[in-house]
Amino acid sequence: MDELEMLVEALGVELDKERRAAVLAAFQPIAQEIAKLRSLDLTDVHPAVVFSPLPGNQQS
Amino acid sequence: MHENPVMRPIAELSADLRLGKLASIDLLENAFDRIASLDSKLQSFVCLAEDARTQAAAADREIAEGRWRGPLHGVPVAVKDNYLTADMPSRAGTDAPGVHFARQDSAVVAKLREAGAVIVGKTRMHEFAWGNVTPPSKNPWDLNRVPGGSSGGSGAVVAARIVPVAMGSDTGGSIRIPAALCGTVGLKPTFGRVSRAGIVPHSWSLDHAGPLSYTVADSAYVLNAITGHDPNDPGSARTEVPDFTEALGQPITDLRVGICRNHIFGNNQSDVEAAIEGAIRFYRDAGARLVEFELPILAFGLGAIFAIELSSSTAYHSRNLASGAVIGFTNDVRTLIEMGRFVSGPDYLKAEQLRRVLIDDLARVFADVDVIIGPTCPLTAWPIGEWTVRVGAQDESVLAASWRLTYPWNLAGLPAISLPCGFDGTGLPIGLQLAGRPFDEMTLIRAADAYERAHEWKDMYPQL
Repeated sequence: MDELEMLVEALGVELDKERRAAVLAAFQPIAQEIAKLRSLDLTDVHPAVVFSPLPGNQQS
Repeated sequence: MHENPVMRPIAELSADLRLGKLASIDLLENAFDRIASLDSKLQSFVCLAEDARTQAAAADREIAEGRWRGPLHGVPVAVKDNYLTADMPSRAGTDAPGVHFARQDSAVVAKLREAGAVIVGKTRMHEFAWGNVTPPSKNPWDLNRVPGGSSGGSGAVVAARIVPVAMGSDTGGSIRIPAALCGTVGLKPTFGRVSRAGIVPHSWSLDHAGPLSYTVADSAYVLNAITGHDPNDPGSARTEVPDFTEALGQPITDLRVGICRNHIFGNNQSDVEAAIEGAIRFYRDAGARLVEFELPILAFGLGAIFAIELSSSTAYHSRNLASGAVIGFTNDVRTLIEMGRFVSGPDYLKAEQLRRVLIDDLARVFADVDVIIGPTCPLTAWPIGEWTVRVGAQDESVLAASWRLTYPWNLAGLPAISLPCGFDGTGLPIGLQLAGRPFDEMTLIRAADAYERAHEWKDMYPQL
């Protein structure tokens, strides 16, 4: 079982065997791009999305 | 009288409507005639407004009484099927049972009606805006090719000169890609400039609303009508709203045009790259200054947009996942929504961190440039059913290739416009993309309009 399949197991994602294989295969190239992202050291960078305590209709 | 008045740009239509030389009802009948004769080929409308003639008659009456509302008054406009409408059902491109949307006007549709536009109908879109093919719509330049997506129906109906404006939405390129592949103008305003309230969400922090149109001026007229703060959209900005038409016909001798040589150049079809180099020469010869730069962070952008888009879309569709409604989705969209569960929380936040770096890096670039130039799409419209395309020396998936040059501007939330800049060797349109500073659509429109005025691409349309 590779890392992605273990992740699916751990997340408890319910997909039948055939469906899971298809979705994981489609996710492989995307996972590679996300892996590149993980390799970046962005420790000191605040995410672009910023929390606001204001109600939704007062946020902007 | 023009044989097909609806094929004329808004400035001309508006002048004649205001003077009573043209009636909105005649303009609408012209649009309906063209739909009747062309849409069986294009398959780009999913619904027509039963009350469209009533809307047009009301526009004619008001104009005759001296109550002219502005340049869109009496002009037929189509909207993408993810814009909610009170008078028509909304499906957001899905046929899945168990998925329903409210019968009320989205903020943009309400503003268009307020401006006097006649809402003609809803255009076909890729299901839930999750794709760039828009089946079964066809590209008006070659019916065997895709119109792009996800606003593919909007691209096709504008390119076929059925309506001068069709609204689109853009999460990773969904206004600009169909605009480029169909040979129209497509404007994605700055994030926050136009309300998304009442547009079926795809990815909250990436979604933008904007027009596809015959000309840059037409998009400026529409932007004037739909812009402004809306408390019902948490992303809506409280910013000054200029008259965007004041950017039309202005000189560009002071313009600084940025050319990002990594990521944006070097991996495009040769005809596309040649057309863009021609556009760069136009700006140089017109007196603009060219500034070359590199943006290394773009190498990490694809993972970031996938992490945000997948996790956002899956969160939005969690009810449809739980109910099993996703089983009724098309297989490609269902797969994307199911795989969003594999993106971790840290991946999502890392993507938002990358976004901050990209925005800050671009702010430094924009200290020295006014617009950034490049192709909209690395390739022209590809054959229907083809999932892999050759770009440069390698084969790529159509998704990976087609949005490579558009999604950075969604990650950064910056305004970007696509406009026609020529044709490839097989006669398919090529799109030129310009991107600008946040909330500086004025410079973007000025630069795009100057290029458009100096070329004849806007006068060329497909013979269907």
